[in-house]
This record gives sequence, structure tokens and C-alpha cells, in this order.
Amino acid sequence: MKKAYFISLVGLLFLFGFTTIQTTDSCDKKAMTASCKKKLDQYKYDSQKFTKIIFTKKAQQLEVEVPIFIGEKYRLVFNTSGLPKNVKINIYTKDKEAKKREAIFSTKDAKADEKEFVFDAPRARKMFVDYDVPADSTNAKLTGCMIFMVGYK
Amino acid sequence: MFLKKKSFALKGAFFIVASMIIAACGSDNTKEESITTPVEDSVVAEAETEEITYSLPSPLQIASIFKKSGLKYKAGITSELKDPAKYTTNLNKAINLGVYSADLSYAVLNKQNQEAMTYMKLSRQLADNLGMGSVFDEGNLSKRFEKNLTNEDSLAYIIAELQMVTDMYLDENDQQQVTSIVFSGAWIESMYIASRVFEKGKDKSLNNKLAEQMTILGIIINALKAEEKKDPAITGLIADMVTVKDIYDALPSVKNNPDASDDLEKELTLTDDEVSQLTKKIEALRVKFING
Repeated sequence: MKKAYFISLVGLLFLFGFTTIQTTDSCDKKAMTASCKKKLDQYKYDSQKFTKIIFTKKAQQLEVEVPIFIGEKYRLVFNTSGLPKNVKINIYTKDKEAKKREAIFSTKDAKADEKEFVFDAPRARKMFVDYDVPADSTNAKLTGCMIFMVGYK
Repeated sequence: MFLKKKSFALKGAFFIVASMIIAACGSDNTKEESITTPVEDSVVAEAETEEITYSLPSPLQIASIFKKSGLKYKAGITSELKDPAKYTTNLNKAINLGVYSADLSYAVLNKQNQEAMTYMKLSRQLADNLGMGSVFDEGNLSKRFEKNLTNEDSLAYIIAELQMVTDMYLDENDQQQVTSIVFSGAWIESMYIASRVFEKGKDKSLNNKLAEQMTILGIIINALKAEEKKDPAITGLIADMVTVKDIYDALPSVKNNPDASDDLEKELTLTDDEVSQLTKKIEALRVKFING
């Protein structure tokens, strides 16, 4: 009887442990913020935006509008270390409803293990940061987060 | 003996199956807490597919832009130093935390050290009232601010760091709506200061910057709308901010230059009368904010 209880207990511990691991994403926001701040270098901190990503069966395109002003120099630092799958980052000067737009920055050629990206913005009046979130057919309910930090000088 | 062993083994198997069922239920509960129910989950995913979110600048950057455009220091135009305890609702506390942060930035960039110290203390009190006073203790920010009172550059970096710690705190506590509310207060106060210092017919650069700032009002309103469900008290604030945008959008200079906000080479210049119309509305809203 004792053996049966022991087996059951081990089973329980294993299953609860497994469930916890499955539903916890790896978002160490403090570490991600600290890492981005370092990369701002001489740029003064302005703002940061965390985005929680829930991977679904459908590909998603999330967009963040970033206000910028004439005469200011901007640096954007991205950190994707909190994501279980890579997300492509594109930056445009027009929103996703625009008929024609070209990316002024893209991570499409980035190495798979690259998790931090620095972008010094050219002169522009508007900036739209797009995240192309790939579909996830595994039904594993993958979640994670990414951040971008804006600095100016 | 063999039967007994078999019976124990069967019981063991039963417990494992039972454990699996319990664990499966536990798993669902965990999901409910973190990602909501499966039905809501698909709604979240669907919404996020189309979602556009907004990033707002810091009050310090706005103050810095105005400063670069020639905004001088004028004594007595920042908010009167009243008791933060008079703000009783969280909405008014957050709005006036923004007002104070704009005044703090203006004072720091113009080397008004004692005034800066006062606004720092008032900001701390309001932050305490909002339950987020601990951000001022992160990395000894308050103490470092006092120690560096005579160093404008250091103070600006400390304020930027305070902004970062605050953003982090609000994100971790799922209070992103506070960021939008605080910035609304800061933006109105910054616009008020700039419009009070603006001299008719003389400050073309400041005029351009006032017009440029109006282009982000739409983003502020959209950011507030995105958080409206989280805090219905925001609805009134959105309506207030929309009244300013309506006045700006109806100005002839704005109507006649619909693409001005996209033009890299040309900045929009408002007429003195148009600046006055805008200023009146901003002043009225600022009084409403400060009176709580």
C-alpha cells in the first residue's frame, strides 16, 4: 500500500511540476530592461514598451506607434530573450493600413540566436514598430514577452 | 499474497489516474489565471491580431524639445504648490503626478534647483498616495537627486531613471493605464508652460513646436482609449483631451495643410490667433486638472 501511495505521490509531483513549467513564460523583465538600458549608451531613457505575445494557430501582426519629433535623435533597443519562438521586427514610417510602405529596419536577416537589436532612427516624422508573430501549430499555448526601449539625444 | 500485491498495484494505478485528472484540472486553473479561459483566450488572440498599441514619450523629453526651441524660464507659471492630499481620486492623483513631473522637468532643465526639489517631493507624496512611492527609493533615486541638485545633467539623468523605474513598476503591476493618465497631465502642463512663455510674432520655433506637439495628441487619446476598459474613470479624461484636438483640427492652418505631420522639410506654423485659441482651451483644461 505504501508503495502505491509513493508511486501516486511521485506521479502527482511530476504532473504538477510539469504543468507549472508549461504555463510559465520566461519573462525576466528586470533583466531585459537592464540589458536594453546598457545598449542605449549615450541616449537618454525615454520610454519602454513590453508586449506580451500569445502564440496562436494564426500568424499575427502587432503594431506599436512611436511618436518622434523633428530635430531629436532616437535609438530603439529591442530584446526578444523572453520569447519561446523568434518574432520578426520591422519598423516603418507608415502604419499597417497604408497602401505602400517600406521597412526602414528589419530583423529578417538576423541570426536565429540573436536576441537584442539596436536601431538608430533616421530623420522621420512617424515610426511604427511591427511584430510579425509566426503561427504556432503545436497547440502548446506558447507565451512570452519582448521589449523595446526608446532613447533620445 | 499475489492478489494483495495486485490489489495494491491496481490502487496505485488508480491513484496515478486520479492524480492525472486532478493535475489536469489544476493545469486548467493555472491557465485561467494567466491566460484566461480558452474561449476568452481565442478572443485575446483575435484582438491581438489586429491590435495597435501606443508608446508615449516622457515628460522630460517634451520639456527638452521645448527648451531646445528656445523656451525660457518664466517664474510663477508652474502649478501652485498645493497639498497633494487634496486629490482624492486615483485619476486626479495620476493626472497631477503628470503635472508635477512636467513642472519638475521644466525646473531641472532651467536650473531652478530648489523648485525642482519641491516638485520632486510633491511627486513623491502623490506617488505614495497612489501606492507607488517605492519607485523613488529604487537605486536611491531621491537621495541622489538631493545630492546632485547643482548638476543639471545629473538631475536630468536621474529623472530619466525615475521614469524607467516607474514604467517598469506600472508594467509589472499591470497598471499601464496610469502611464497614459500621468502623461496626459504632463502633456497639458508642458503645453501650458510653452504657451505662456510664447511671445506672439516672435517665437517661430516655439510656435512650430507647439504645432508639432499637437500631432501626438491623437496618440495620447488612442492610448487612453486602449485602457478605458481597465479604468472607466478615464472616459471623462478622453472627452477633455478630445476637446483640445477638436479645436486644433478646426484651425485653418491645420485644415489647409493636411499632410503637415508627414512633411520632413516643413514645420507647421500657426497664426497668433490660432495659438491663442489653442492656449485658451489648454489653460481651461489645466485649471480643471489642478483643481481636481
